[in-house]
Amino acid sequence: MSLKFAYYPGCASKEITRESSDTTLKVAPLLDIELKEMPKANCCGAGLLKDYDYKLHLAMNARIFAEAEGMGLDIMTICSTCLMVMSTANSELKNDEKLLAETNELLGEAGLTYKGTIDIKHFLWVVMKEVGAEKLKGLVKRPLKGIRLASFYGCHTLRPSSVLGFDDPLNPTSMEEITAALGAESVDYDGRTKCCGFQADLVTEEVALAMTAKRLLSAKDSGAHSVVTPCPFCHINLDSYQSKAERVAGRKIDIPVLHFTQALGIALGLSSKDMGLDRHMVPLQDLLDSI
Amino acid sequence: MEITVKVKRCNPQGNADCKPSWQSYDIKAEVGMSVLEVLLDVIAGVDPSLVCRRSCRSAICGSCAMKINGRPLLACDTQIIEEYEKAGRIELEPLDNHRVIKDLAVFQEPPWDEFDKIIPYLNEKDKDVAMTAEDEHAIDASQKCIMCGSCNSVCNALEMEKNYLGPAALAKAWRFVGDVREGKKEKRLDRLSQEHGIWDCVRCVHCTEYCPKDVAPLSAIERLRDKAMAYGIDDNHGAKHSTAMVDSIRRVGRLDEAAMTFKTLGLLRSIGMIPFGMKMEMHGKMPHPVVLPAIDGIDEVRKIMDKREEEKKKEELD
Amino acid sequence: MVFHDVLIIGGGLAGLRAAIEASKNGLNVAVISKVYPVRSHSVAAQGGINAALKSNDNWEDHAYDTVKGSDYLGDQDAIEIMCKEAPEDIRELERMGAVFSRDADGDIAQRPFGGAGFPRTCYLADRTGHGLLHLMFEQIRKYEVTVYPEWFVTDLIVEDNIARGAIALEMLTGRFHRLHAGALIMATGGYGRVFGITTNALTNTGDGMGLALRAGAPLMDMEFVQFHPTTLKRTGILITEAARGEGGYLLNSKGERFMKSYAPNAMELASRDVVSRAEQTEINEGRDINGCVYLDLRHLGREKILERLPQIRDISISFAGVDPIEEPIPIRPGMHYSMGGIMTDKDGKTPVEGLFAAGESACVSVHGANRLGGNSLLETIVFGRRAGQSVTEYCSGSKVAAFPKSALQDATRKAAMIFERDAGVKSSELLERVNSAMMECCGVFRTEEKMKEGLDRVRAVREDLPKVTLTDKGNVFNMELAGVYELEHIVDLAESILLGAIHRKESRGSHTRLEYPKRDDKDWMKHTLIYKDGPEMRIDHKDVTVTRFEPKERKY
Ligand SMILES: Cc1cc2nc3c(=O)[nH]c(=O)nc-3n(C[C@H](O)[C@H](O)[C@H](O)COP(=O)(O)OP(=O)(O)OC[C@H]3O[C@@H](n4cnc5c(N)ncnc54)[C@H](O)[C@@H]3O)c2cc1C
Ligand code: SF4
Ligand code: SF4
Ligand code: FES
Repeated sequence: MSLKFAYYPGCASKEITRESSDTTLKVAPLLDIELKEMPKANCCGAGLLKDYDYKLHLAMNARIFAEAEGMGLDIMTICSTCLMVMSTANSELKNDEKLLAETNELLGEAGLTYKGTIDIKHFLWVVMKEVGAEKLKGLVKRPLKGIRLASFYGCHTLRPSSVLGFDDPLNPTSMEEITAALGAESVDYDGRTKCCGFQADLVTEEVALAMTAKRLLSAKDSGAHSVVTPCPFCHINLDSYQSKAERVAGRKIDIPVLHFTQALGIALGLSSKDMGLDRHMVPLQDLLDSI
Repeated sequence: MEITVKVKRCNPQGNADCKPSWQSYDIKAEVGMSVLEVLLDVIAGVDPSLVCRRSCRSAICGSCAMKINGRPLLACDTQIIEEYEKAGRIELEPLDNHRVIKDLAVFQEPPWDEFDKIIPYLNEKDKDVAMTAEDEHAIDASQKCIMCGSCNSVCNALEMEKNYLGPAALAKAWRFVGDVREGKKEKRLDRLSQEHGIWDCVRCVHCTEYCPKDVAPLSAIERLRDKAMAYGIDDNHGAKHSTAMVDSIRRVGRLDEAAMTFKTLGLLRSIGMIPFGMKMEMHGKMPHPVVLPAIDGIDEVRKIMDKREEEKKKEELD
Repeated sequence: MVFHDVLIIGGGLAGLRAAIEASKNGLNVAVISKVYPVRSHSVAAQGGINAALKSNDNWEDHAYDTVKGSDYLGDQDAIEIMCKEAPEDIRELERMGAVFSRDADGDIAQRPFGGAGFPRTCYLADRTGHGLLHLMFEQIRKYEVTVYPEWFVTDLIVEDNIARGAIALEMLTGRFHRLHAGALIMATGGYGRVFGITTNALTNTGDGMGLALRAGAPLMDMEFVQFHPTTLKRTGILITEAARGEGGYLLNSKGERFMKSYAPNAMELASRDVVSRAEQTEINEGRDINGCVYLDLRHLGREKILERLPQIRDISISFAGVDPIEEPIPIRPGMHYSMGGIMTDKDGKTPVEGLFAAGESACVSVHGANRLGGNSLLETIVFGRRAGQSVTEYCSGSKVAAFPKSALQDATRKAAMIFERDAGVKSSELLERVNSAMMECCGVFRTEEKMKEGLDRVRAVREDLPKVTLTDKGNVFNMELAGVYELEHIVDLAESILLGAIHRKESRGSHTRLEYPKRDDKDWMKHTLIYKDGPEMRIDHKDVTVTRFEPKERKY
């Protein structure tokens, strides 16, 4: 069985959290997943475009879908925000003929149309549902034995469940199931399904950082060795901004944050360099040494 | 079926740091019984001192929202046996983000105080405007709100910032801003764009997820933001952030984080970020600060955007 | 002490509409409500509100339907006012911001309702009451009406037949407050909780009727209690008429459409009293399924149910655990509406000076012996407004009466006494006794013997009232304490319903007596009044006003 997708890493994973996409491209073949780049794909707007102009947001997203439709493939992303933004737009377009027609009128300006035939999936979802924990177990080269992970789902991985709906928005289990297959233990903690604060970083920074700190501290206090997240934006706040969050919290936090893809990569035997682990702001060496 | 219902009880009697404690009641549940019915049985038969608000029993008055097994639900609209079979337990707690009055009853400042802040009534236009089915549709979801407080109880922004208006009040605000008959849209949007208004939302989607009436407060907030910017009310970080994103897409087809930071925060605050930026740079985390290459087919993007701008010019604001 | 020109007791549609009117007229108005106003029972009304809006409809037809529906007991002058003023009231609601469902032409859509000769019921999907109540709540913010939310009125202060204010228990703190007022409007809604099975909210305990009765105002036509044919078994939650309108069947335990023996033409769509009587007969004669009959929608098919009756499906699933696509819904007649209430004139005045009433707690009377669907929301709006208007006139024409000094003390002393009692009975037990007495003895079919038994049982509960004790001895949000006051009213109202029902020796509208199966216009074209101005309740009469429609036999 070979799975094939149009690959949409999202803007963050192409730049700031490039390590996540780099890792994905190395992990995917090991899982028999073929990823086709989308050279034309634009930014989904991360919701900000929707705030600015709803119809433009639909059109820009439809442009992405049209490219995938042209390739005859569903989209796979490794960004939760892209997942949520694209999936809700896609669902609105698919369920409202009038909206689809209006959107196509805009796309027509660039000679494009979207027929409403594709689906969007997160890598986490593909690993969980289409690769499966069993198969994954068999591929593990370097079990994450003795490592306690705090899965940080990220809002846009789970909600709105009426559109995304592959895991329970309150008590999700997919991350835990997968990291268990990789040999790690999981901790339960208060911030697990809450917001990292990213969307407020540039708007109400103090609030955002206080939120980041609160989530990290609840993970840390639950005894986790590391946080693991399927969303690059969460990663930016939890890792890149951890030192700023520490300042707001008035307390050292110091907990490494893995991309979901890296947790896979480590267990499947990729090298630190392959996964860009040196790009993290919070050092990972102790964690790696303990595996 | 016999079920043990655990209730988190607290009777502060004015004392703010009252410690809640769990109390268990063994009850008999029949198929079709709601959590509220069971509570009423407990109150009538076992413990009349247990407090929960209730009135309609049919999910429309908004009295009985509480945390059931960790998430906000209407007690009268939750089948106890079903819930028990799903979760293996029944644990009832007062809503989060609200101060407890007693047991399951909480103070209702949110949403009522916030409700007042959004000018909660229609300001008629001078001329009579007839409403069409489509006009009705535009505000239909936001009209379904029963003021149960569930959304506010799970709002991540409200958790951190008590002064935020919150999803319930903002959904209500859209009910007016989105109404064709409303005469003071701009004034409303201006107020809503101020501190702790529409731009405090961190888009965690909790409100939309847990609203028992499908009000989708987040969609209302997104629409308010859209309308506010259409009115040119953009002198705030939130609007600037969005506009910067649009500029970035027009220029290179994708997110240009460095440029966005600059445009959102302005020169001075951006400079303030330089030492931090340098630290990120060391880890290779500062994206092309000067030129980010454009995506293939950027022309298509621009054409679509131009066309939409043209369309927007024709759309009347009122 | 706080003073308001007008104190309105009740934050449902009638109370808030009155508040808006009085406040527009420049009065200092306060609304006091035992629940947050939008939690009031009005919020649950689904079906809609009647008005002759269309050019091919007219208010006289609306009036005729209403008079006929009332089995000729409604006062026709009041009915004329209601029907004539309805269209302008609806348009005014729209100007305030009401949203109604629209038809293809963009006009306010109107649906057919039982007993009406024309589709004249305006609606907002299936949440008309919700839309209107939230609208009224918005408007009282606009007119800066003071609200005392979750304040429970325990006493009306009336001396020398003049209303002076009220005493209320603030739920949050447990403190009693004096509220001095130039005039009072009672808008406390219905008394559904007198009965065990009712469509009414848990808060509908008829407090206002009980308070007014004690204050010397008469209650009128209390024997007329509407039973709705389709309510869910255990809870009494309403399944609206639309289920039968769309073609639902009623089946007995043998699987027969039993309506063929009661109303062979109209079948399931006969009027509410007829259908309720038929169901109760089936149940009494043993063709029931655990005390119910079935409402069967399965033959309508999945698609039609999902498209036309989604709300009914949701309610059945949520509250009865039954998906009507797969299974029939067990239903039975349940108490739904109180036609009777505090006697008022067309402007909401009661015989007590400065005491007004509107809405379901009042009896104008526009519903007579049987209310038509969609007329009661209309009543709250029309007569709420009119009460707000006439209270303005009253306030400008009369001096404010003093508030007696001892009133607050009396109230707190009474509460203290309840708190102090140690051994005794729980109020929930007494409530259960009244509820079952009323269900068994004063339901759809009534006999002298049963009603007298009911009266004895209710009076026995009254004897036990002084023994009620509390488990909750705290001050904060003591709902058990409030429940004791509610129980007192429930007992008074149960007794007044039974007295009226025993007294009225005929069958009319919702009041069906097995010994007197016929309507008797010669002796009973009159309203029943109940007074409690001495230790015992006493009965009196008032003539029915007939203007243009002479009584004739009711056929549908
Ligand atoms: C399920 C259902 C559906 C219905 N559907 C329709 C319909 O489609 N169309 C129609 O015309 N009618 C309908 N009705 C009837 C209609 O809803 C009611 O008659 C009407 O809403 C009553 O309004 P109200 O303002 O008189 O009282 P309510 O809305 O009941 O308000 C009573 C108020 O009094 C307050 N109160 C009571 N006691 C006290 C106290 N002691 N102290 C302080 N405050 C107190 C309460 O807090 C509340 O605010 C329906 C009724 C039911 C039960
Ligand atoms: S999406 Fe916004 S308003 Fe809704 S819960 Fe999250 S932060 Fe609050
Ligand atoms: S928006 Fe939904 S969750 Fe929030 S108060 Fe209204 S009904 Fe409740
Ligand atoms: S009791 Fe009214 S919403 Fe639950």
